[in-house]
Amino acid sequence: MNPFKKLINSSEKLFTGSGKLKWLEPLFDATKSFFFFPSPKNKHTPFVRDNLDLKRFMSFVILSLLPVLIFGIYNTGLQAGIAKGESYTFIQAFLLGSRYVVPIILVTYGVGFFWEILFASIRKHKISEGLLVTGLLFPLTLPATIPLWQVALGISFGVVIGKELFGGTGRNILNPALTGRAFLFFSYPISMSGDVWIAATSSVDGVSGATALSILAPEGEKITTALTHSGFTLSRLFLGFVPGSIGETSALCCIIGAAFLIITRIANFRIIIGGVAGLMATAIIFYLIPGGSDSWMNAGPLYHLCAGGFLFGISFMATDPVSAPGTNPGRWIFGFLIGFLTVTIRVANPAFVEGTMLAILFMNVFSPLLDHIVMKYNASKRIPNV
Amino acid sequence: MENIKILKGFKPTLTGMPDLSTIQIPEPETIAVSAMDIPFIRPKLLVKENDSVKTGTPVFCDKRNNRIQYVSPGTGIVKHILFGERRQLKEVVIALEKTEDFVRFEPISSEQMDKASRSTMTAQLQQGGLWQCFRQFPYRDTADETHEPPMIIVSLNGNDPFSPHPKVVFENEFAFFESGIKLLKLFSKRIIVTSRQGSLQRLNGHKDLITHVVSDSYPAWDPAVVLYKLKQTPKENMSWCITAEHLILIAKFLLTGIYPVKRVITVTRSTDKKPHIITRQGAPVKNLVGSLAENSLITTGRFNGRSVDPGSHLGFFENTLNIIPDNQTEELFGFISPGLTKPTVSKTFLSCLTRTPKALDCNAHGEERACINCGYCTNICPVDLAPSFILKALLSEDIEDALSYGLLDCCRCGLCSYTCPSKIELTKILSDGINAHYKDKE
Repeated sequence: MNPFKKLINSSEKLFTGSGKLKWLEPLFDATKSFFFFPSPKNKHTPFVRDNLDLKRFMSFVILSLLPVLIFGIYNTGLQAGIAKGESYTFIQAFLLGSRYVVPIILVTYGVGFFWEILFASIRKHKISEGLLVTGLLFPLTLPATIPLWQVALGISFGVVIGKELFGGTGRNILNPALTGRAFLFFSYPISMSGDVWIAATSSVDGVSGATALSILAPEGEKITTALTHSGFTLSRLFLGFVPGSIGETSALCCIIGAAFLIITRIANFRIIIGGVAGLMATAIIFYLIPGGSDSWMNAGPLYHLCAGGFLFGISFMATDPVSAPGTNPGRWIFGFLIGFLTVTIRVANPAFVEGTMLAILFMNVFSPLLDHIVMKYNASKRIPNV
Repeated sequence: MENIKILKGFKPTLTGMPDLSTIQIPEPETIAVSAMDIPFIRPKLLVKENDSVKTGTPVFCDKRNNRIQYVSPGTGIVKHILFGERRQLKEVVIALEKTEDFVRFEPISSEQMDKASRSTMTAQLQQGGLWQCFRQFPYRDTADETHEPPMIIVSLNGNDPFSPHPKVVFENEFAFFESGIKLLKLFSKRIIVTSRQGSLQRLNGHKDLITHVVSDSYPAWDPAVVLYKLKQTPKENMSWCITAEHLILIAKFLLTGIYPVKRVITVTRSTDKKPHIITRQGAPVKNLVGSLAENSLITTGRFNGRSVDPGSHLGFFENTLNIIPDNQTEELFGFISPGLTKPTVSKTFLSCLTRTPKALDCNAHGEERACINCGYCTNICPVDLAPSFILKALLSEDIEDALSYGLLDCCRCGLCSYTCPSKIELTKILSDGINAHYKDKE
């Protein structure tokens, strides 16, 4: 037998029955089932079950996040280099980026799992896989220079208030990662504002750099010209070589991840397509309204699509099945309205330069209502059978 | 022949499809009348241990309607009466004797069949122990003889993907099937005969009576799914269904006056291709399955049957035994393996790209978690239910909502539980909900 399995089996009695570490049973169980995939015999009909389970489901979201993550680490280093006036090779930039990003991820998982294990131990249920995804999504929405204590605070709020208070994974109303980010966004606006800090190792531990969305054109100039002048060309926004939160900058990487999720049917394509359609339609409508050529009102659909965190949010946050509607018409409306609200907040609300997070959280709240309406409509179409 | 299009359902191909040849196995020593596969029955025993019974002697009846009787499929002595928990009757075991003696009824001729009155036919079938072949929706309970069904759905295929092929069932007995269809016209104006697409090509010469062809993905041929697709008004919810095999039994009984005991069954195993078996009703499971791998599970339908142990006997409604292996290995990093041979209805294993038949096992492949609203159950449900929403309505004891979402249209096919990534016992919870509603109404 595999020596590792031997170790697990021999320590099992410590954690189960009347063992000394009985209170840590959920942790032991999660470790064991992470390494050795459990597959008990079915007790009820149907006696055969599909191979897909929640661990694999969640692992696929992590796989889809890898391009975003790797590019995010690289870009963090790259932007720091640009700020210092040095040009790094890929390896140098990646290593420098890792110094900022990896601690954020480690703190997120560490603190997140602490709460998960605490609640699982008290409630005596198994640790759910949901945190695997939350724990990677959350850091990717943060700027690289955020203090680690804020990371810990944010993920604590996301996991405890956003999820565990409602009963854990599967019962939350809001996306836990976004709930945590919203908490930081409103509590510590300085480190989270539209002017994202660029990681740099100079004596001042950060240089302020504006993100594309906070740019306003001077009198008489078009917004697109102003963006180009500031270095935010459409192609750079699409590829992602711009300052911003760790994971949000590259539209291309988000599209790769979204395509993977759609092909494997882990995410529902209706939300993503609906969201992009909603964003495009709204951006075109604002574009056609006369005036405002110096603001994001006149930026047009492609700039709205590639700038900011919209593609990241719609591909990975809005598609979280728990907080999205469970009916197909509901998913179309949900996605479309996220797109609509994102542009509306960006353009019409001077208080917030970025609207994706607020749009998704707002629609999360409405998804049970959307489901309710769709289910009532479907029920009225059925031939009653009572 | 009309086509009924059913887009949802279970599509992967499975290994272990039975061969179309037949073999007859020797007479068993014991047979039994099982109460385990009879819906909602409250049995009242009519025999005691050591009583001798003839083929066709009533063994127990249903307390809800004493006229519905279950009769002995052989001649011999009642050896055991087995009870389960809370003295629930499991089976009445009969030790067979060499010579067979029948309870005889007045046979009727094929010409008389469509002229006879509905009430005499009903009485004859109830005494002969075959009335229960008719099942009534929505609960699929034994049919109510006073009810005139708006349609009767005759299904050529059984509950499992590998239930006996209609070609084998029809062999030498097609004339009985034709008289059976004639008889059904006494009971309802609308007779629907369905066959799955895949069975059709072997049915040359027997196709004339088929009215509807359904697609080949499980459970498209289930009468509840056919009813869901055909019904236009709420009245039709109370339709009846019967399998072709049972219709043949009924016709045979009426035409010969003796209780027919022959059954065609299939035994499927993912590794072989076994012939169809001809045996007696209520044969012991161990005679049919042969030697067994350790821990494997025997079911009477992998998606919607019950699990049986080798010592028990086949029930009246059952004609398939699936032997499902147990692969209870704790695979290292199993959740992320590419899975070329792992059967799935999702798109997360490489196996979804290949068309080779896959073998299923009786393991859960994961542990139970809370519902994450992923919608896999809605995507597979053949009768367009949203099982996760019904589940939540049932768990909050909101039966009205569950019913308005279509709970009673559920055909208990088992696919929602099959596909659930959170491994929730959806089928059991929905099925319990239906049963609770039935008991409430009673």
